[in-house]
Order: sequence, then structure tokens, then C-alpha cells
Amino acid sequence: MTEAAIRNKPGMASVKDMPIVQDGPPPGGFPPARYARRIPNKGPSAVAIFLAAFGTFSWGMYQVGKGNKIRRALKEEKYAARRAILPVLQAEEDERFVKEWKKYLDYEAEVMKDVPNWKVGESVYNSGRWMPPATGELRPEVW
Amino acid sequence: MASAVDAAGDPIPTSAVLTAAAKHIQFRCQEENVAFLKCKKKDPNPEKCLDQGRQVTRCVLSLLKDLHQRCTKEMDDYVGCMYYNTNEFELCRKEQEEFEKKCPLE
Repeated sequence: MTEAAIRNKPGMASVKDMPIVQDGPPPGGFPPARYARRIPNKGPSAVAIFLAAFGTFSWGMYQVGKGNKIRRALKEEKYAARRAILPVLQAEEDERFVKEWKKYLDYEAEVMKDVPNWKVGESVYNSGRWMPPATGELRPEVW
Repeated sequence: MASAVDAAGDPIPTSAVLTAAAKHIQFRCQEENVAFLKCKKKDPNPEKCLDQGRQVTRCVLSLLKDLHQRCTKEMDDYVGCMYYNTNEFELCRKEQEEFEKKCPLE
């Protein structure tokens, strides 16, 4: 009933005379649709792109070099400070070591006093150089 | 942290104090340091280089005492900053500049 009310054509004799409602093209057809490629050929050339990349890279490496120079200077400052205070620390340690070594030699002399032909404090090496004692412990009272 | 000086007012040679004064030590105690290192290079035996070692210690300790007496506050600030930043020079530039302005390296 409602279709007849919507699609009413005045002077309609029966429902079979209702006008046909269809989805179709507009009169005259659709306008033609372009489907051909049209990629433009403008923009930077290959040489320009290469130069831009190379320029950015070299500027970046220049910044890296500048930063490395600064870092090297900082490291040099730290190493120079360590070189300056090394002798004090070594001298203090030498004093402490000599004191402990004398005590150790006295102990060794007492332990080995009955052994014939024992030279107290003799180096166990044949090279003639002084080697630090290889007891396996650097500072027994600390460890 | 305890202060950088002991009971008699002498600076204790801790790592912070020594690195803070390192540039001064490098300038003022250079001969003693070089003599000690030459002796060590010739013979690493500690008993043979005790004299040079004593001179080095004397030079450095007297230098520390002199620096501390001349610019007490700046040196204390610099040593405190060094202690806080574990001897990083880059983090203590401000205190370093004030210290070197007050007690310049000759």
C-alpha cells in the first residue's frame, strides 16, 4: 500500500502501472574517468640528492670530530692529574712496604736460623731484577 | 664526610684533595716527581728510592698545606665538589675556576 502511495503517478490505473524507480546513470552517461598515470618529473635531481646526503654526512662527521677532540682533552686532563699524584702515592706505599718487609725478614731470619747456608731475604729469581714478593696476598692485614 | 684537614690543620692527602691540587702539584713538585720516577725506572726496589720518595712526600704535603692556608674556603669548596663527584673535573668547573683565581698556578 505504501509503495503505491510513494510512487504514485496521477492517472494510474493499477499498481502495475507504477513508474520504475531504479538506480542508474545520469542522463547522458557519466563523465569519462581518467586512469592514465601522470607522475610529475620535477623535484631534485640525482646529483642534488647525492650532494645533500654527502653534505649532511660530512657535516655530521665534522661534529663528531669536534666532540672527540673535546673528549680527548678531558681524558688528557684526567690522566695528567693521575700522573701528577702517582709519585706521592707510590712513595707512601714504599715506606709502608719497607717497614713490613723488614719485619718479614726478621721473622724469616728467626725461623730459618738453624738451617745452614740460608741467606735471609735472598731473591728466588735469577734475573737480578727486584721483583715484588709473590705471596699471593698484597696486604694480608687488609684482606 | 669529615673535613679535609686533620687535627693540626694540615690537609689530609685523600684522593679528592690530591686530584683537586693535582695541577698545582704538577707545576710545583715537578722536579721531585721526575727524580723519583727516574730512580724507580732504574731500579724498582722500594728500598733504593726512599730518599726521593721522602722528598716527593715532603714537597706535596707542604704544597697542600700552603694551598690550604692561602685559599681555605675555595680549596674546601673544590675538595668538597671533587669528593661529591668522585674526582670528575668536568662537573666541578665553577669551583675549579674560583680556586685557580684565588691560588693561581705559577
